[in-house]
Amino acid sequence: MTQIIIQGLLLSGLYALIAMGFTLIFSIGRVLNLAYGAYLLIGGYVYFYFAQMMGMPKLVGVLLAVIVGAAMGLAKYRMIVKPLKGDHVAIEISTLILAIVLQSGVILAFGDSSKILLPIIPGVERLAGATIPYSNLLAAIVSWAILISLYFFVNKTHTGRAMQAVSMDAKGAAISGIDSDRINMITWGISGALGALAGVFFASYTQLTPSMWVAPLIISVAIVIVGGIGSIIGTLIVAHIIGFMEIIVTAMIAPELRGVFTMVLIIGVLVIRPQGLFGREEL
Amino acid sequence: MGLRWYHFAMWAGFIALMYAMPELVSKGTLRTFIFANFLAVFAISWDVLSGRTGYISFGHPFLIGIGAYTTAILTKRFDVAIEISIPIAVVVTMIASTLFILPALRIRGSYFALVTLAFMELIYQLVQVIRPDLTGGTRGMSGIQTLTRGAVNGYYMSLSLMLAVAISMWLLMRTRVGTALSAIGMSEDSVLGSGLSTTRLKLFAFLTGAFVAGLGGAFYVHYLGSIAPRALFDINFVFTIIVAALIGGSSTIIGPMVGAFFLTYLLEYLRPYLPGAERYFIYGGIALLLYMYQPKGIYHIVMQAWERFKPGKSA
Repeated sequence: MTQIIIQGLLLSGLYALIAMGFTLIFSIGRVLNLAYGAYLLIGGYVYFYFAQMMGMPKLVGVLLAVIVGAAMGLAKYRMIVKPLKGDHVAIEISTLILAIVLQSGVILAFGDSSKILLPIIPGVERLAGATIPYSNLLAAIVSWAILISLYFFVNKTHTGRAMQAVSMDAKGAAISGIDSDRINMITWGISGALGALAGVFFASYTQLTPSMWVAPLIISVAIVIVGGIGSIIGTLIVAHIIGFMEIIVTAMIAPELRGVFTMVLIIGVLVIRPQGLFGREEL
Repeated sequence: MGLRWYHFAMWAGFIALMYAMPELVSKGTLRTFIFANFLAVFAISWDVLSGRTGYISFGHPFLIGIGAYTTAILTKRFDVAIEISIPIAVVVTMIASTLFILPALRIRGSYFALVTLAFMELIYQLVQVIRPDLTGGTRGMSGIQTLTRGAVNGYYMSLSLMLAVAISMWLLMRTRVGTALSAIGMSEDSVLGSGLSTTRLKLFAFLTGAFVAGLGGAFYVHYLGSIAPRALFDINFVFTIIVAALIGGSSTIIGPMVGAFFLTYLLEYLRPYLPGAERYFIYGGIALLLYMYQPKGIYHIVMQAWERFKPGKSA
């Protein structure tokens, strides 16, 4: 029982971190960024390249991953999202193509085989029969810290409130003197940085493979849909619902079914309550 | 339906050229053509369901897979004849497609795309867990009865299937129903305002798309003789289908066929330089550039060029 709670908390923390960048874009840009998983992919591989292949300090590796992620987010906004001018279908499809391009780019550079990422902090802690790797613990702590600061950033700072304004009504925001282009740039940058950071942790939780972007994308989609648009708290709660659900299903029913309930949850929520459990009333 | 003599002439020329192909090209090229034919069938089916109505499906392999698995299980595990199992597979696929209807009645745009993606992941995981004795679990099934032997026969089979699908869909889309479907993609509210039932139209589009997808999936599995969940319910497969339909030209019939042939050829052409999955780097890059340049596809680019250089036009 303790083991389930501890593992559930760790996994949920990781999921919340993964979904956060996706929520930002989906809430503010109202854009379905199917290449979101690619930030995690690139973040993981950038960290792997600098920290493990070049032997740089791990913190530098993480930092470089975050910088590359942010740069990717900005480039994606400039080169794909902005030229398509809010055509949602076109953005969805071009980001899907981009994700495949990046995946095969990684295969081209690093090969098809999976890589084991050394933990950021080696060692494990044993608590009441549960084994907790320090890096998973770190992921959960970092995730909580980022969630809390993001919550305050979005709700308290001027830029954060401008982001909310743009998400509600871009024209109204423009009349109030908000440069929505700049806000979008900031949002895409943050989203990319968060994605890349989540990628480092996700890759050390599982392993580094060129196809590792699909699973986190689906988890983020599930969390955002069930949580509802524009709700950081909703994201946090639903990350825990899904994280615990997966751990409980794995422990009590069968490990193969862990994804099935998540999918059923997405489909059910979308059909019964399309605005999500905690989202704003709209659609 | 606005049929003209040149429509018949163009179809006849196209059909004659395609049927003469085994005389013109090598066996290896012919195998590439077979895959292009199947991809064209899937792309047309995607286009009927998504390209016209604007309800983008990211879960198309869900439908194809249901068709393929149904006939594979029936023929391999229960010794049902292929002539019976393929129609059953098509009907099962059409029934399964009604699962898409429920969300499509309530949600639009990105949300619909996400539900279909969720359906695909769901079936991918269920196939491996539920009754592995029937589905073959993670490894899938092999040794499924094949319809044809050899490249030439396989080519004729796949070509006939593609042409039958293409011509019937082409005729269907020239009717008033086809026009109404395209209108849904432009403005669903206007269609509703014109006194048409969008629910019935969407149901029709989904059932037609599923019919073609199930048919294509069933024939495909009886061509390959094997089936595996990872190759089928894969986001790369979704990507290939959607890109073929869009690069060629959505909302046309010739477009998805052009796209399928163009992309299959591109992939084959790259094989000597990049043997593995790296090919998708160039393939995807070209697709992305083409799509960003003209989201309406090659068909539209050609048409624009034709308009510009049309003989006898002064300007």
